[in-house]
Amino acid sequence: MMVPIFTLKLNHKINPRMVAVGKFDGVHPCLTAATQAGKVFIHNPHGRAQRPGAHCLSQSAQDSDVSLLNINQAVTCLTAGTLGPNTTGDTLLVGSQTNLLAYDVHDNADIFYREVSDGANAIVLGKLGDISSPLAIIGGNCALQGFDYTGNDHFWTVTGDNVRSLVLCDFTGDGKNELLVGSEDFDIRVFREDELVSEMTENETVTSLCHMHGSRFGYALANGTVGVYDRTARYWRIKSKNHAMSIHAFDLNADGVVELITGWSNGKIDARSDRTGEVIFKDNFSSSVAGVVEGDYRLDGQKQLICASTEGEVRGYLPASKDLKGNLMDSSAEQDLVRELSQRRQNLLLELRNYEENAKGAPQTHSGMGVIPANTQLQTALSVRPATEAQKAHVELSISTPNETIIRAVLIFAEGIFEGESHVVHPSVQNLSGCVRVPIVPPKDIPVDLHIKAFVGGKTSTQFHVFEITRQLPRFSMYELTDESSAPQPAGRVSFSINDRAQRVVMWLNQNFLLPEGAESPNVTFNSLRGSGLMSFNMAANGQVTLRTDDIDLAGDLVQSLTSFLAIEDLSAEADFPAYFEELRATLTEVDEFHAVHQKLTAEMADHSNYIRNMLVQAEDARLMSDMTSMKKRYRELYDLNRDLINEYKIRSNNHNALLVRLKSVNQAIQRAGRLRVGKPKNQVIAACRDAIKSNNVNALFRIMRAGAASS
Amino acid sequence: MEIHLNRVDYIQVGVTSQKTMRLLPAVGKKATQKVAIADHDGILMCFGMKKGEAVPVFKTLPGPKVARMDLGGAVGTPQEKIFVCSGSQVRGFTKKGKQFLTFDANLTESINAMHVSGADLFVCASYIYNHYCDCKDQDYFLSGDKINDITCLSSEKLSCLTPVLACQDRVLRVLQGSELAYDIEVPGPPSVLELFNKDGGDEVLYGTTDGKIGLIQIGDSSAVTKWEIDNDKKKGGILCVDTYDIIGDGVSDILVGRDDGTVEIFSFDSSNEPTLRFEHVLSESVTSIQGGCVGKESYDEILTATYTGWVTGLTTDPQKAEAGPGDEVKMSKETQSKIESLRAELEQLQVKVLQGREQYQQTSQSSTAVSAVPVFSINDKFTLSQDDASYSLTLEVQTAIDNLLLQSDVPIDLLDVDKNSAVVSFSECDSEPNGNFLLATYRCQANTTRLELKVRSIEGQYGTLQAYVTPRLQPKTCQVRQYQIKPLSLHQRMHSIDPDRPMNKLSLVGQLSFAEIHSWVVFCLPEVPEKTPAGDSVTFYFHNTFLGTQLEATYCKGEGHFKSDNISTISILSDVLSKEATKKKINVNMSYDINDESVSHTLRMIHPKLEYQLLLARKVQLVDALKELQVHEGNADFLIPEYRSILDESANLLEEYKKQPAHLERLYGMITDLFIDKFKFKGQNVKTKVSSLLEILDNYDLNSLLDFFNDP
Repeated sequence: MMVPIFTLKLNHKINPRMVAVGKFDGVHPCLTAATQAGKVFIHNPHGRAQRPGAHCLSQSAQDSDVSLLNINQAVTCLTAGTLGPNTTGDTLLVGSQTNLLAYDVHDNADIFYREVSDGANAIVLGKLGDISSPLAIIGGNCALQGFDYTGNDHFWTVTGDNVRSLVLCDFTGDGKNELLVGSEDFDIRVFREDELVSEMTENETVTSLCHMHGSRFGYALANGTVGVYDRTARYWRIKSKNHAMSIHAFDLNADGVVELITGWSNGKIDARSDRTGEVIFKDNFSSSVAGVVEGDYRLDGQKQLICASTEGEVRGYLPASKDLKGNLMDSSAEQDLVRELSQRRQNLLLELRNYEENAKGAPQTHSGMGVIPANTQLQTALSVRPATEAQKAHVELSISTPNETIIRAVLIFAEGIFEGESHVVHPSVQNLSGCVRVPIVPPKDIPVDLHIKAFVGGKTSTQFHVFEITRQLPRFSMYELTDESSAPQPAGRVSFSINDRAQRVVMWLNQNFLLPEGAESPNVTFNSLRGSGLMSFNMAANGQVTLRTDDIDLAGDLVQSLTSFLAIEDLSAEADFPAYFEELRATLTEVDEFHAVHQKLTAEMADHSNYIRNMLVQAEDARLMSDMTSMKKRYRELYDLNRDLINEYKIRSNNHNALLVRLKSVNQAIQRAGRLRVGKPKNQVIAACRDAIKSNNVNALFRIMRAGAASS
Repeated sequence: MEIHLNRVDYIQVGVTSQKTMRLLPAVGKKATQKVAIADHDGILMCFGMKKGEAVPVFKTLPGPKVARMDLGGAVGTPQEKIFVCSGSQVRGFTKKGKQFLTFDANLTESINAMHVSGADLFVCASYIYNHYCDCKDQDYFLSGDKINDITCLSSEKLSCLTPVLACQDRVLRVLQGSELAYDIEVPGPPSVLELFNKDGGDEVLYGTTDGKIGLIQIGDSSAVTKWEIDNDKKKGGILCVDTYDIIGDGVSDILVGRDDGTVEIFSFDSSNEPTLRFEHVLSESVTSIQGGCVGKESYDEILTATYTGWVTGLTTDPQKAEAGPGDEVKMSKETQSKIESLRAELEQLQVKVLQGREQYQQTSQSSTAVSAVPVFSINDKFTLSQDDASYSLTLEVQTAIDNLLLQSDVPIDLLDVDKNSAVVSFSECDSEPNGNFLLATYRCQANTTRLELKVRSIEGQYGTLQAYVTPRLQPKTCQVRQYQIKPLSLHQRMHSIDPDRPMNKLSLVGQLSFAEIHSWVVFCLPEVPEKTPAGDSVTFYFHNTFLGTQLEATYCKGEGHFKSDNISTISILSDVLSKEATKKKINVNMSYDINDESVSHTLRMIHPKLEYQLLLARKVQLVDALKELQVHEGNADFLIPEYRSILDESANLLEEYKKQPAHLERLYGMITDLFIDKFKFKGQNVKTKVSSLLEILDNYDLNSLLDFFNDP
């Protein structure tokens, strides 16, 4: 049984996921974490003598080992590491919703302080691709930015949604690091510099990523899932009812292979084998875990695993010594083995008994047993149902039995389409029948496996047979085939040409849409059940494909799905989405307006603060001169001014939030324009769009979005 | 003195009932004892341990399930005859396995408790107690509520054999012949009785279903409670107790097994008070416990049997923990051979199971065959816990549970239980037309055989909670269990009530039989025996576990009287009773005697709870802000003492607050009900004034609340 080698109570709250260890003087590791009230604390138990005493670094009065750094803004991410080429110690990087600060703790000086309009939700420090200097890469609202030690951004790209987690890892095995980005649209994207190499879709917001070894990395989702990927293949995953707060790779059992250490919201810490997910060690904190890091905190040359809880409790664990033989739990292995084998034997015996009893035939006396004819087979069918007065448009899953048995309840386990992970249909006793219809409304266009469990028996049974069936819901299931050729065609369109037979495209249509009879030709028109109008798909004999829809996201999804089915690597396309582009143009104008308002407000605020300074001096003068009436007057004025300032601040923050929303939609527009293309053309479009925005050339931006980057 | 016990798993048999494993007395010089255990398959097995392996002495053929086991023998000889009861039959075996007795008690119900003493046999079947001497009927007694256990005292101080019955209505009944000598009130429904001193004496240990233990000295005409151990830590209910000197200080210690898998040892300190010395948690209900020596000579141990049939020892034998560091810890030969044989057996079974599966598959081709899977056994418990006025539901299955579906047709809240690691998912409910108010699935982690849930009900809303349990067993089946949520679900039986409180009265007169009115009371209130009580009239006392108000129900043929200081209780009763009467088309006259004083009395009773909760909520609100101030200023000295004390006890406050989720909302709800019900009896509808009541509650003050109730 392993026990912590040190335990500290820091008396400071720790914000989740904002913990790092940095050697700020180059020698002594310090635990650094964000705490309440926009502060960062640095715990340095080693160098008691040297104290940087200066403006923003203050000594905490409670604990002499802890220094506090005032950020005066809510900290959103934090890391420490080597950024500059010839600095002695590590640099501390602190991100907030609007800024990124690089700070030299040892010299107590800012290295750079940059405004980042997209915010910094996640940060990672290290080398990326061929860029020579290490970068501090931050992920904000749909955007990724990398800064070098001078504060210049060497790297910029956009991604599908708000970034929640980042990690650098050699994903492709080419000896250079790729950037892995986990975002709120449930995707893990891999960037080789600004080229999107790979994309894995999960079923919840990706909250944490960590590099294990080689191309293997661990991930955690907001719904309590943790797991390990090797490249694009998932090795294992487990789901808990708690949330994984922080994950870290550390070789706890000293077998030369790192384990995935997870800190949970209920205070549990566990170490799992990277291959199987089997728990090899666990421990408990009294409050939620805030972060898991590693460092040589005792300065004895051995790395420790350091776990910190939100209440400020810190524990360090040393990798297991050889005597423990990798057995970190207190129960002995062979006892467990015997137990497991016995349990299996018991299960087999029970199963055997089930078959024997079954072969004997049903006893007539027990009516609750749920006897069903042995040839009962469940039939399932999926169909698209347009909206009626009573019900919204949905995909209907109908499950029925062929005989007089009834379906007591249906459980459907599926990821990402229900509020929880399951959906239950439980008819009341009066409504029991042999057929159950389940309406399903998938919120996104993703292919989903429906794991159906149906309880089948008689009306009075207390025991039911459980039928388990898995059905796949195709990606574009919420689209109904129509032949309304009379209706006006949507104005938005994408056209591109492919070098493939029409039959292959028909195959793709049949696999990805719910077609009652199956399609014959690749020219079809669908009606979206989500209310985004018609969508038509046409393929000419020369391989020219035209997609007409007003929904640019749908067009992007269709292009991506079709190209991956046909294994097309590079595809350029022409596109026009008049309605969407008009919207975007309006947004861009709004961005300018908000920027202008922002500047004006900032100027006003500066005026006000000058005014306050004056007023304060006057008031204090009046106090010293015992002129109480004018002092009161001044302070009253000051109070009014303060109120004005607060109001102004509120306006500013509203303005800022509105600006953020616009900026996000601009970033998304670039991403969407990119998704209409594949491979190189895609990256070119993204890069060109970015340049157009930088140079504020709106017309060029739309030209690129329409025609692709090559023509510009 | 610390005590270390190591866990050893010996053998697994079928599912076991409470008290079905005993150790046979040691024979001659041989120090290790044999174990006799009987399970639900009806197999009685006797085995001894030889070199770490279980060697059976004898094993009977399967039969009906065994409910109890006891050891007996002629007075003065070793008690080594084994008696088991199954159905209404008692069988006796010698220690060699020879059946020497088959005795049919000729009871309509099956025996659920048994005691053997010399030639005397005592059996109990739900409400009936029977005493046989040399298989001849001696005495008979009909108890007022279900009998859970029986033991028998034989002491010089007492005139003859004195049986003691543990009855569900929180009473131990001491009998004399066929007559009740007297009742002993105990703090919870007793589930198990054991003689404190095995050689006789007049002291009896009892354990209750809500986890309390006590010792009672039985006299000729009265009894004295020596001590009681409360269940502060909310562990499970007691299933078995035993006395054995495991610590080795010459005084017998108390061994306790609980239904949540906890095994405890209590020893006596110098002042003869029991103190907890050791605790170990097995993963499933502990059905039998006994101290003795089984595995290895001269090492005492505690032998336990669990629900799924594991016989596990907690031994003082230090095992191989002494293999020093650096030594190659090898699997002992015994374990190795054990594992080998298990593996071989598994392989054979696997083949058989495959054959079975194939055959089962084949039957599905035939149109006449039926599939009938035997009913698996579920050990479930649905009890009201007094501390937080919520129901706890525990489900235990002999193999791992795959998933659980909970369905309820009344609004109830499902609370999170820490011990429960299953992933819960709530499904959308359609109250029309299927009448579902709760649909939740629990997907269990591997190897979960026991699930614990907590459910909070609302008084006045009644219906059924259903649990569909699906174990991981092929062919897959699921079983449904139903639990009634009664109209007055938060009430609990008591022995007496405080007569001085102002009471409201509901009287009911009509053409009713005693059985009819009793069935109504059973329908409304928990913990009332289903059987109609003997005699002409009966009185039950209850108290509301949440508010502490009380209810007295007295009824006989043709009339019933209900008295409560809580007007809402009376209102709920009158609603339910009139609905039932209408349903059965019985003409009933209901009259009320409302005491206005009772409402303010109830409000005064709620007052301290409400005030405490409000204060707690306010304090908890302040905690974070104060902590931030503390960090900002470096210390908390500048704060007023009140705030400082909040900071000092912040951890306790938060814990307290977390323990009682929605406590305040529940209190508000009950006060609102009280308000509505008070004026309902006056014939006024005050629902429109509820909003002003809530306003008053938000700025709570007892006097203004009382005023509002008097004059809204």
